[in-house]
Amino acid sequence: MTITTFLPRQIRFEGQLAWRHLRSGGGQTWLTIAAVASGVIIVIFIMGLIFGLQRKFTALLTDAIPHVTVQVPEGKPIPYADLPGSRPGPTSSRSEMQAPQRKNIDDWRTVLSIADTIPNVRTVSPAVAGQGFASKGANPVGVSLTGADPAQQELITPVTRNLIAGHYIGLAADEVVIDYELAKDLNVGVGDRIRITSISGIPEPPRIAGIYSKGQGRGSAYVTLRTGQSMLGIGNSVNVVYVKVYDIYGADAVAERLAVLLDCEAKSWSSEFPNFVTSLQAQAASAYLISGFTLIASSFAIASVLIVSVQRKAKQIGILKSIGARKNQILLVFLLEGLGIAVAGSVMGAIAGIAVVYLLSLPKQAVTRVGGVPESLFPLMLDPLYILAAMGAATLATLLAALLPARSAAKMNPVDAMR
Amino acid sequence: MIALPGKLVIETVGLKKTYQGKLPTPVLFGIDLRVVAGEFVSIIGQSGSGKSTLLNILGALDVPSEGLVKIDGVDISTLTDDGLAVLRSEVVGFVFQAHFLLEELTCLENAVLPIIIRKGSATQEEVEWIHGLLVRVGLGGQLHKSPDTMSGGENQRCAIVRALANRPRIVLADEPTGNLDSHSGEEVFQLMRQMSAEIGIAFVMVTHDERLAHAADRILMIEDGLMRSIE
Ligand SMILES: Nc1ncnc2c1ncn2[C@@H]1O[C@H](COP(=O)(O)OP(=O)(O)OP(=O)(O)O)[C@@H](O)[C@H]1O
Ligand SMILES: [Mg+2]
Repeated sequence: MTITTFLPRQIRFEGQLAWRHLRSGGGQTWLTIAAVASGVIIVIFIMGLIFGLQRKFTALLTDAIPHVTVQVPEGKPIPYADLPGSRPGPTSSRSEMQAPQRKNIDDWRTVLSIADTIPNVRTVSPAVAGQGFASKGANPVGVSLTGADPAQQELITPVTRNLIAGHYIGLAADEVVIDYELAKDLNVGVGDRIRITSISGIPEPPRIAGIYSKGQGRGSAYVTLRTGQSMLGIGNSVNVVYVKVYDIYGADAVAERLAVLLDCEAKSWSSEFPNFVTSLQAQAASAYLISGFTLIASSFAIASVLIVSVQRKAKQIGILKSIGARKNQILLVFLLEGLGIAVAGSVMGAIAGIAVVYLLSLPKQAVTRVGGVPESLFPLMLDPLYILAAMGAATLATLLAALLPARSAAKMNPVDAMR
Repeated sequence: MIALPGKLVIETVGLKKTYQGKLPTPVLFGIDLRVVAGEFVSIIGQSGSGKSTLLNILGALDVPSEGLVKIDGVDISTLTDDGLAVLRSEVVGFVFQAHFLLEELTCLENAVLPIIIRKGSATQEEVEWIHGLLVRVGLGGQLHKSPDTMSGGENQRCAIVRALANRPRIVLADEPTGNLDSHSGEEVFQLMRQMSAEIGIAFVMVTHDERLAHAADRILMIEDGLMRSIE
């Protein structure tokens, strides 16, 4: 039994001859297979590296921020002339209707149940967010306030792992967690009471339950949902719903769905970082370009080897034609030869590519944080989809490369070929 | 000699051939040839006189510049590429000076190859028929040998069996004994005559060997691009 037993009877001869060509080709056959395989290896490596890096950067960026933020749209100031009931004709007035306050989400429980029906949504946290002042004695310091259930909010913007002292989970109604910068400014520590005021709400004197440090910039002061509602004076409503998704690149779609379903404003993380998204796209495009050029280069190499091999087989082609071989049969012999090279090369390339990516992902980075898990030096990623795509593209490129010599073989004049 | 009664398998009228190179090379100036079924014809002529050229045209490996060529009653100028391939497959068999067997295949595989090319595979009976022919030409012990391990005479006998594989009406042999010593040459020639008589195949054989030429039914000579009968 040979490999050609699996071919349909009508083309078994062509398959057998192609197989024998490949076997008798020896070093040349291996050379072409290696050309296909290197193409596939490079494509798998480049894709693995670029998309691995992208995934890592995106994870770093989006790990500690909400993926989608749902709010009621902010009203725009309306020029006087556009107000209903305003007198027509030119006015000298520049007076404008006051911008309405950002509205609250009163029926936020509906929002939660609707959000939960979207497949990609991982977790949802209803919250109140606003600005206020924190003070201890004299000078008040501006502070962002976030009021939410600690267990829920922890899944959106992790606080606990950044804590320097105290706790966040299990926060009581009269407790607050503040960031290190604020604690330094106010010169306070865990257990101290500070005063927090906002424009609209009731001033509260919560006790500091924990102090955290993000490592950069100022962070929010976290209180419970109920405390936040009272501090900002918005009753039982919330003014924002934070959403975390499973597939970070699907966040835009989730935001769109939410915006439509809830008739509100839903912003995905990517709209906050347009430059980051653009650079991801540019990286992906260059990965595709490099892959494309690699495959083109390897198909040139394959084509040139096959052209020489067809020329060397000119006599055989002439003989086959003299005993009745049709053009298509000759064409098929050389296309099948190309297919053999393509399949062998892309399978071997895929195996080698996976091995390369796996080996390169072994060296670990030194751990920079206590208790941290060591991360790979090269954040490579293996995705069966692009491995299959690389194999498919390489197969296609090889077949295209084989087409040219195969056609010249089919067109060969038998008399010239045998001379 | 005697004009054999029977169906015309080869007929050319005013066949001309000029090779179009940098300098056009006129080779055949108007050949009128008629060969009937089962006839054994030999063609002689000086080197460069156009014998191979004529044979290649008769076997649809090359096209005439002018004139009519009918093979088995079909005007070959009306055939498509695939039609010509079918003609080469089913109607004519070729034997060349060099055996032109495929090195990748064994003797038996080479001899069966035309059948496989024609219809994708060979039946048991067909293989047995070829096998029998190979035994008859003395290759019973060489069936599974590769051509490069067989002698010139053995290869040429295998090539003759290959030419007969699809039971053609015509076999065109271009100096089939040219590379053989006189003993093997004689053997190969006798084999062709036998097959011609037995299966009723017309043979057109180009040869430089006077003795073999005279053993044919008819001798034709190409001279100055024209054909004439000898005797
Ligand atoms: N493809 C070609 N292009 C140009 N000229 C050719 C070509 N093939 C053959 N010729 C010329 O045509 C003439 C006849 O060649 P051909 O091979 O038919 O001769 P021949 O009678 O078979 O000779 P030989 O006995 O040596 O085999 C020669 O002069 C040869 O040089
Ligand atoms: Mg010749």
